[in-house]
Amino acid sequence: MSWAWLLVLLVTYPWLLLADMLSDSLASWGVVIFITGAVLVVPCRRLKLWQSVLVAGCLGFLFEARRPIPDGVMAFWMMAAAIFFSTRREWLRNFPLLLRAAVACNVLGCLVWYFAAAWALPYRGTITWSNVLPELTLQVFTAAFAGLIFLLPVSYVQELIMDRAGVPVAKDVV
Amino acid sequence: MERNRQGAKAAYVLLTIVMVLWVLSPSVVRRFNREAFTEFQAPALHLVGKGRDLARYWELKSRNTEDLVAASRDLARVNAALELKLAMMQDLRDENKRLREIARYTPPNTFYTVVARVGLRETSSWWHRINVRKGLDDGVRPGCPVIFGDRVVGRVTVVHKNSAEVDLITSPAFRCTAFLEGDDQGRMVVVDGRAANSLTPPAARVWNIPYDYSIPAGTVPKVMTTGLGGIYPAHLVLGTLEANLRNAQDGNFKEGVLRPGRDLFSLQEVTILVPTKPSRAEDLLSGRYDELQ
Repeated sequence: MSWAWLLVLLVTYPWLLLADMLSDSLASWGVVIFITGAVLVVPCRRLKLWQSVLVAGCLGFLFEARRPIPDGVMAFWMMAAAIFFSTRREWLRNFPLLLRAAVACNVLGCLVWYFAAAWALPYRGTITWSNVLPELTLQVFTAAFAGLIFLLPVSYVQELIMDRAGVPVAKDVV
Repeated sequence: MERNRQGAKAAYVLLTIVMVLWVLSPSVVRRFNREAFTEFQAPALHLVGKGRDLARYWELKSRNTEDLVAASRDLARVNAALELKLAMMQDLRDENKRLREIARYTPPNTFYTVVARVGLRETSSWWHRINVRKGLDDGVRPGCPVIFGDRVVGRVTVVHKNSAEVDLITSPAFRCTAFLEGDDQGRMVVVDGRAANSLTPPAARVWNIPYDYSIPAGTVPKVMTTGLGGIYPAHLVLGTLEANLRNAQDGNFKEGVLRPGRDLFSLQEVTILVPTKPSRAEDLLSGRYDELQ
C-alpha cells in the first residue's frame, strides 16, 4: 500500500508529541527527550525503501521545524539512516537487534542535532569543551535511554498499523 | 542481498543529488518547508496548551466558595487602589504630553500588548525557548520583546500563523545592553545567554562591566534594560547580578552572572510588546529605505 508511510507517520507523531511534553516538564534540567531516531527503525523493517526514506525525511523535518537547527540537517541524516537500515534488514531481524539499531540510531541522531545546533549558534565566544562535554554526555545517555524505553510501545503501534494497512513483512527479515 | 546493496548505492547517490539541490535552492523554499512542518504540528501544540488550561480550570473549580470570596474581596481592594493610581497617572500623562509639546520632543516608540499563554518549553545546551499561543494573526512580529510584569522574559524569534517561538534571556542566542543598579555613571554592560548551562539554575552572562564598578554593600543589584537598542523599553528588569564578579580575559572589564527575575520555566502566561510603528530594521527589510532617506 503506497500510503502506508503516511499512516505510519501519523501514528508515530503522538509519540513525538509525548516526548516534547516530557522535554517541557524537564525544561529546567535542560534535557531534550529525543526519540526521532528510535522511531525510524521499525518502519525501515517493512516499508519499501522510498517509503521509509519519506518517513525519515518527514520525521527529521518535524524535529527541526521548531528548533534552531540548520535546515535539512536532521532530515537528510534521517534519510541516510533510513537507506542504511532499509538495505540491511538482516540487522533488524529480531527484537534485540531492533533495540540495538534503535539505540544506535537515536544516539547518532542526537549527536547530529547537538553539533548542528552548536554550529548554528549566533555567538560562539563562550563555548568550551569543558562545559559542553558533561551536557553532551548527559544528552547522549538520555537519548539512549529514551530509545530503549520508547521502542517497545512505538514499535507495537507501528507494526499494528502496518498489519492493518497490509504491508508485508520483508523477506530478509523473516 | 546483492540487489539491496546496489539499491543502496543508487539511493545514496540520489540522496546526495537531492542534498546539493536543497543547498542550492532559494531560501524561500527552505523557509516554506520549515513553516509547513511547523503548521502541521500547531494544532497538536494548541491542544496540549488547552489541555493544560483545562487542568488548571478544574483545579481552581475544586476550591471552596469561601476561598473564592476571600480572593475576590482582596482583588476588589487591589482594584480600588489601582484605580486611584490610574487617576494620578492621568494627571502625570497630561503634564508629560504638554511638556513634550513645548520641547518638541520626539517620543520613543510605543507598544501595544498581546497577552499570550505559554505552550511548550524546551531547553538544551544551545537553546532555551518557549512556544506561545499567539502569532502573526495577533500582530506579533519577530524581534518583539516578551515580558512578565516588569521583568524581561525574552524576545520573539520566529512567528508562525497562530504561535511564536520566544528565545529566553538565558538562551545562548539572546543578547542585549543593560544598566547596572548602583552605577551612578550609567555605563552600559552587555547581557547574553550562556551556552551549556543545564542542570544548574538558568543564568545569563553580564560582561563589559567597568573595572571600577563594585556592588553596593548589602544589595543585590538589578540589571535593567537601557532602551537604547530600540527593542526593549527602558527600565525593565532583566534579573539580578550575582555578587562574585570576576575579571574578564582582557583585564579591562569584569563579568558576572545574571539570575533572571522569574523562574522562566514555570511561566503560564507572558506579555508580548508589539511596537506600534515598525522599527528601522523592519523598514529596511520591507523596502522602505528610500522613504527613510
